[in-house]
Amino acid sequence: MIGAFKAVFWSFFGVRRKAEYDDDAKKLTPQAVIAAALVSTAIFVLALYGLVKLVTR
Amino acid sequence: MTAAAHAQDHAHHDDHAHHPTGIKRWLFTTNHKDIGTLYLWFSFTMFLMGGVMALLIRAELFQPGLQFVNPEFFNSLTTVHGLVMVFGAIMPAWVGFANWLIPMQIGAADMAFPRMNNWSFYLVVPAAILLVASFFVPGGAAASGWTLYPPLIIQQGISIDMTILAVHILGASSIMGSINIITTILNLRAPGMTLMKMPLFVWTWLITAYLLIAVMPVLAGAVTMLLTDRHFGTSFFNAAGGGDPTMFMHIFWFFGHPEVYIMILPAFGVVSAIIPAFARKPLFGYASMVYATASIAILSFIVWGHHMFTVGMPAAGNLFFMYATMLIAVPTGVKIFNWIATMWKGSMTFETPMLFSIGFLCLFTIGGFSGLVLAITPVDITLHNTYYVVAHFHYVLVSGALFAIFAGVYFWLPKWTGNMYSETLGKAHFWLSVIGFNIAFFPQHFLGLAGMPRRIPDYALQFAEWNMWSSVGAFIFGFSQLLFLYVVIECIRSGRKSEQLPWEGADTLEWTHLPTPAPYHTFETAPVVK
Repeated sequence: MIGAFKAVFWSFFGVRRKAEYDDDAKKLTPQAVIAAALVSTAIFVLALYGLVKLVTR
Repeated sequence: MTAAAHAQDHAHHDDHAHHPTGIKRWLFTTNHKDIGTLYLWFSFTMFLMGGVMALLIRAELFQPGLQFVNPEFFNSLTTVHGLVMVFGAIMPAWVGFANWLIPMQIGAADMAFPRMNNWSFYLVVPAAILLVASFFVPGGAAASGWTLYPPLIIQQGISIDMTILAVHILGASSIMGSINIITTILNLRAPGMTLMKMPLFVWTWLITAYLLIAVMPVLAGAVTMLLTDRHFGTSFFNAAGGGDPTMFMHIFWFFGHPEVYIMILPAFGVVSAIIPAFARKPLFGYASMVYATASIAILSFIVWGHHMFTVGMPAAGNLFFMYATMLIAVPTGVKIFNWIATMWKGSMTFETPMLFSIGFLCLFTIGGFSGLVLAITPVDITLHNTYYVVAHFHYVLVSGALFAIFAGVYFWLPKWTGNMYSETLGKAHFWLSVIGFNIAFFPQHFLGLAGMPRRIPDYALQFAEWNMWSSVGAFIFGFSQLLFLYVVIECIRSGRKSEQLPWEGADTLEWTHLPTPAPYHTFETAPVVK
């Protein structure tokens, strides 16, 4: 599952090293990636919201 | 099996490829290539209609004062131009490409649901008729802008109901098309064609199809609420009845922003096929491209508020959408750099598809940068509803999506028709388009910065000169599209026969495993991909 989160993190940045991507393609299942993506998106939105709250405090 | 042997094998099969002829072939077809062709011709027809509306707008704006049309009709022109170009021209064109290319690029015999494919196409025709016919009903066509904002939209006549029905039908068609595309890609890939071996065009369409399924029902919900507000006494968007017109804007743009990516992601796929072919190098950072596409798709759901910075959201809301919007520049920048890196030290040639792809790269980047300018909340509050915004989204959608469509048509015409287009005329089409487009839309940045509001038929004298230039450019761009029509028809009817592989750098299945032109039935036996 940590591997799925790592892959999703790099997808947010939009870059991935070839060797690690080959590793992803072998090990990860689509279900794990989708679940990690949904959780990561929620974390991302909350982080942005936290930043906004900090700025507007 | 070698490519040539494969080609021969398929040519042999094609002798037995019986299908109805005449009108029956096109009405009852379940063949993905026929349906792709129908979509492409339909979208070009709508493109010409939307283009005529654009030229009427620019004719009126050639000089200050009212010349040709009255203000109400002008508002209808801007509204229906937008709707026709988004839903009638760009989106169906991409579905046409998807139909033609996805099965061939993944080694499938056809789409997963061929009959539903036929139905998806034949739904868009009545929807288009409803949109265009709404000009001829009492009260004229919808005049609220393509965003259909209440309360204006509540007050107009029957044309609004026609528009709402058209949007519903187009949404149903898009959802069926998306289900078909997702099922085809996930289930009908040839042995060995793993997800991460798929051409980028297939990847971008897979993600686009998910976006469509996610947002089309949202639009359908929004317009249904409009309909019940108009006819069944509800007050979803009516402040007098306890509703909120701003809520419509939120719902609409929750659909509307991913919609922008629905129109541009397949363009990324096409350009990612063409640039490597003409640079004679593999695409730089394939995996990054896939990851960046996924990232853009996810981010597209959390930025809708940047379309409505001026409606009075709390500062925290404005800031959230500003930060989120600016972050989209990261994966988009990854793509731009990957395309540039693909060209770096490549053996480049500049045939028409490559010219349009490079045009896309340069001009879409300008559109991206003006998008970043507009993402800054205080700047947007100044520029909102000015011509700067009009310039921005035309750089994204015309020199972005449309140029990629042209690039794709020139690239795959030999595969589709078996004939080559005239390279001289194709290049002339490119240069006329790129020059006309820039004369039309670059000055609109200046007009917007100087404060000229959009969607007005008349303007103050200080805006006259750049408006004149903009209209001249629009007419050059508009009429040069007739040259495109001529080039395509000439290619189909009398173009010189294409070689088996007209582009030496092209390496996807439709080029390496199928003859040129592609026979009516392809990949009845799935190829094995290594």
